[in-house]
Amino acid sequence: MNISRPPTFAKDIIVIVGGYGSGKSEVAVNLSRHLVVSQSQPVTIADLDIVNPYFRSREAAARLKQLGIRAINPTGGQFYADLPIVLPEIKGAIEYRVGKLILDVGGDDAGARVLSSLADSFVAGSYEMLLVLNASRPFTSDVEGCLKMIREIESSSRLTFTGIIANTHLMEDTTARIVLDGLKLTREVSDRAGVPVVFLSALTEVLATVETSTLEAPVLALERMLLKPWEEKTADPDNEDSRESDA
Amino acid sequence: MKGNEAIAEAALRAGATNYFCYPITPQSEVAEYLARRMPEVGGVFLQGESELAVSNMLFGAASTGKRVFTTSSSPGISLMQEAISYMAGAELPVVIVNIMRGGPGLGGILPAQSDYNQATKGGGHGDYRVLVLAPSTIQEAVDLMILAFDLADKYRNPVMMIGDGMIGQMMEAVELPERCRESELPSNDEWAATGAKGREPRIIKSLFLDPVGLENNVLILHEKYKRMIREEVRFELYKVSPENRLMIVSYGTMARICQTAIDELEHEGVSVGLFRPVSLFPFPENEIFKEATKKNIRSVLTIEMSTGQMMDDVQKAVMGKKPVKFYGRTGGVVPAPEDVKEQILKVMGPKSSTRRKKSRG
Repeated sequence: MNISRPPTFAKDIIVIVGGYGSGKSEVAVNLSRHLVVSQSQPVTIADLDIVNPYFRSREAAARLKQLGIRAINPTGGQFYADLPIVLPEIKGAIEYRVGKLILDVGGDDAGARVLSSLADSFVAGSYEMLLVLNASRPFTSDVEGCLKMIREIESSSRLTFTGIIANTHLMEDTTARIVLDGLKLTREVSDRAGVPVVFLSALTEVLATVETSTLEAPVLALERMLLKPWEEKTADPDNEDSRESDA
Repeated sequence: MKGNEAIAEAALRAGATNYFCYPITPQSEVAEYLARRMPEVGGVFLQGESELAVSNMLFGAASTGKRVFTTSSSPGISLMQEAISYMAGAELPVVIVNIMRGGPGLGGILPAQSDYNQATKGGGHGDYRVLVLAPSTIQEAVDLMILAFDLADKYRNPVMMIGDGMIGQMMEAVELPERCRESELPSNDEWAATGAKGREPRIIKSLFLDPVGLENNVLILHEKYKRMIREEVRFELYKVSPENRLMIVSYGTMARICQTAIDELEHEGVSVGLFRPVSLFPFPENEIFKEATKKNIRSVLTIEMSTGQMMDDVQKAVMGKKPVKFYGRTGGVVPAPEDVKEQILKVMGPKSSTRRKKSRG
């Protein structure tokens, strides 16, 4: 049997950033779920993706609510927008935090720029800023590309990385090999950038084929919560109707 | 890769060297991607001041015989219609991608298929057609993007690939071919403006003041469109069998939602087939007629993310031989598989549900 430790966090604010399509939102919603289940603290997730209107964590809002997670999202028509809307509640949640706060930020340095408007609210040493690294993505498939992305995101966000999440995948075509090769690259990036690999994340069914006890990193098992319409089983409560009623 | 990136990379692999754009959600990642990649392959990346500028840059660049393309979304494509008509009239090969969002007007930014009529029936003025391809997966978007450049050259005509917002935004694994070399591309010696040294100058235009001359140009175009209808019809069948009593006609990602509904109904003992047009112009009329008029088919159900734009073509194809029903959502609302199932059972009538109950025991 695979024995692995789940990730734990001493700090209360966890900022999730990374390249477009690295899996930030899926990791962020799964991490929220993990923290609310494993810790007796309240968990808040704020969707700060203002650069891309599709497949954002807000689409899992109904599901998160069921789990007792507070989700801060724009409401009404703004729910669907890609306008630079930063809700005042987010600044409030950073400054007067209750339990754990997860910030799901948009992709690349363009998506991370929104953080610079909030940077003054962050106290150095009080937050984790984690890079979600998917080595199967075009611009983060080698060490230099990853280091470039780290530099660009730090520059646009005015915040400093504290760790990396190894989240290499090829959607439904992910294999154990892809996950392990991705972890190898993530470790090299970690060494060069001087920040630790905080955890590895992968779909539960893929992790079942990986000897996780030898990974020397905490592991977060993912369940896909942001689905394409044709992947939704008909009895799934998390379909567009629940999304609409939530908006 | 994300759909928008895959489309961009596929164009590079097809040998495209000129990309002009004006950003618009939900396809701006194509431009972001190419802003990085075009300089790496020695190509031209240029953001115009508007879609009008972009589409006329396409005219100019296409005249040189290079592989040129643009990507946009619904309102942006509307702005390009004038130049698309000009390019069709001047017989220029160009590839245009429309990642459709809800309209009319500024509409919204979520997925839709409501530019079907604009793409397949013109959009601009004059007697012309654009060859239209519609992928349902990211891999197919890559394959059709490469095909689009080949067809644009083959017919010296604009080719449009249309996908709803999901095609641009979702992630799927893809395989890309090697980038083709310029020497492998079809020759443009006969027509392109490549410098008139040692030969007669060429004028590439859509202006023909002499009515007989203009009619002649239109007839040349018309012959090309007839050839497209003969040679470029593309479609795919899913779970089509003599057991089917209903045939769905659906394209793009909407067809994938239908597939999920079909799979689930199959488990419940209800047999439904799907006809998925891949080329929207030319539309697979004869093939739909052939499938729809089979004895076992009682009715045809067209499912779209519009209020029924493709249904007109399906009705025309079926020629009144079988009832053609419609289901669709629009404005950015994407039907869930459950909604599609419900509609299928409604169209099939009470008999299907009796059978359904029996099969459930």
